[in-house]
Amino acid sequence: MSQTKSLNVDYNYTVVRLFAVTTVLWGIVGMVVGVLLAAQLYWPALNFDTAWLTYSRLRPLHTNAVIFAFGTSALFATSYYVVQRTCQVRLFAEKLAMFTFIGWQVVIIAAAITLPLGISQSKEYAELEWPIDILITLVWVSYAIVFFGTLVKRNTSHIYVANWFYGGFIITVAALHIVNSMVIPVSLFKSYSVYAGAVDAMVQWWYGHNAVGFLLTAGFLGMMYYFVPKQAGRPVYSYRLSVVHFWALIALYIWAGSHHLHYTALPDWTQSVGMVMSVILFVPSWGGMINGIMTLSGAWHKLKTDPILRFLIVSLSFYGMSTFEGPMMAIKSVNALSHYTDWTIGHVHSGALGWVAMISIGAMYHLIPAVFNQGRMYSIKLINTHFWLHTIGVVLYIVAMWISGIMQGMMWRAVNTDGTLTYSFVQSLEASYPFYLMRFIGGCFVVTGMLIMAYNVVKTIRAKDGALEPVAEAA
Amino acid sequence: MDMATLHSIFTVLVFVGFIGLVVWLFVLKRKPDFDEQANLPFADDQKPKQQQKQESDHE
Ligand code: HEM
Ligand code: HEM
Repeated sequence: MSQTKSLNVDYNYTVVRLFAVTTVLWGIVGMVVGVLLAAQLYWPALNFDTAWLTYSRLRPLHTNAVIFAFGTSALFATSYYVVQRTCQVRLFAEKLAMFTFIGWQVVIIAAAITLPLGISQSKEYAELEWPIDILITLVWVSYAIVFFGTLVKRNTSHIYVANWFYGGFIITVAALHIVNSMVIPVSLFKSYSVYAGAVDAMVQWWYGHNAVGFLLTAGFLGMMYYFVPKQAGRPVYSYRLSVVHFWALIALYIWAGSHHLHYTALPDWTQSVGMVMSVILFVPSWGGMINGIMTLSGAWHKLKTDPILRFLIVSLSFYGMSTFEGPMMAIKSVNALSHYTDWTIGHVHSGALGWVAMISIGAMYHLIPAVFNQGRMYSIKLINTHFWLHTIGVVLYIVAMWISGIMQGMMWRAVNTDGTLTYSFVQSLEASYPFYLMRFIGGCFVVTGMLIMAYNVVKTIRAKDGALEPVAEAA
Repeated sequence: MDMATLHSIFTVLVFVGFIGLVVWLFVLKRKPDFDEQANLPFADDQKPKQQQKQESDHE
């Protein structure tokens, strides 16, 4: 390991610790709900004829829990950690940072209560009603003040690239959230969008896609640019490439949202712009992935012994996979087949479970011992077990969805010589059935891995300060 | 000036800006200029107390 000097800046790790622990907690909750949904698609009786356990209400609970509770907590934890360490300065406005933690937990709990009750704006990934939206805005503005305030008072001359990605993510999510949440409230729990018709749809998917692009991508790329080099013990492969990566991604993502609305009432040219921009997006995405993976060049042997590094690097290969698949699905003729099918769900989870979850888990295994005064996690072996459970689970999940999705697409478009449909919808559902079981099993693997992680984290936190000594470097 | 012209000008500006960035990075700046930045994650290595005294034994 290369340590140049040993600075003793007094960092604020309290809020980092809190967010790190909630990352694991909400990860488990969100994924358990995911498994329940997967089970309901196979055994429909599992809604127990109870309104608030129905699929339609639990599905947004799942997406909100995994994206905003699990993923975003991981982003809060790592961004507060990374910005302090790469700026060599203590967090700005610490009370406000604490407010972001408490405020965000209140948002999550409010979501967990209102969504099962059926209180929803019915916009995907923006379901929460207006009072909660206002709280989100307050938390987010505070987050921006803490983050950028810390950047301003930094002790280094440069701003490390990871902070550029975090910063881009924070600013864009604020803009997206505010624009898409413009509503006219009619009561405490009901409101109507200020936009109408096709404009409403376009604003929604401008939001939706950039939530993917800036929250689920740019934020986690910030994580990648810090934790991959750090865990590998060597600087990023090309710093120049990382600068190009940042600006290209920022410039392109904003234009791609209309690929969610192919063949709808949206003007044709808007759909074509979305398609072209999505295809170009492949280039910076792969540039970034290669930059991350090549950081290991000359040190590939570390993958054999270090399961944390394996989490990080395999997450990048899933990132590569989903950013190859995405541009392809954005091509109108391909989308005509994939849209509405399980293929989209497969793509989502290769991004979400492969990329987002694996990079977060890897980052947590690196960060948790560091902020709890330990040299390493309680058990490296269990990290390895987690890695395999997770990988097997994700592969089962996405392979099942690919097969099921493409099959659905083919069956829905098949026509007889007289022009009638070859298959009824129920026939395609029956064909998908075995794959829903396969996804459920994959989900169980993933959740088992997460429970092992929770055990490992608890053991690490409860160990005596400094009792867990770092793993010796195999030179 | 109508919206279409404004949009065209904006598109050209973004494009020129991007090319400018690439030229600046790869032609005007040399690699060593970025080495210090690339090493920022390692600049503050703060190891837990235990670790400072012994580096290599344990399993
Ligand atoms: C144990 C792990 C998981 C399981 C079993 C699971 C299962 C599911 C299921 C059954 C659906 C509904 C699919 C449908 O309507 O056909 C779904 C949707 C979704 N999940 Fe997961 N999930 C898991 C983890 C995650 C994670 C970690 C994330 C994000 C970080 C995530 C993000 C999403 C999103 C965004 C959707 C909505 C997709 C769409 O509307 O196209 N999931 N998940
Ligand atoms: C170059 C990058 C990418 C492109 C061009 C892209 C493109 C697409 C396309 C075309 C769809 C299907 C839209 C539809 O038919 O309804 C889609 C859905 C989706 N993608 Fe991607 N994708 C990319 C990367 C990612 C990544 C890295 C993630 C990370 C998690 C992700 C998450 C999602 C989600 C959550 C949806 C489902 C949206 C919904 O219908 O609810 N995508 N993407």
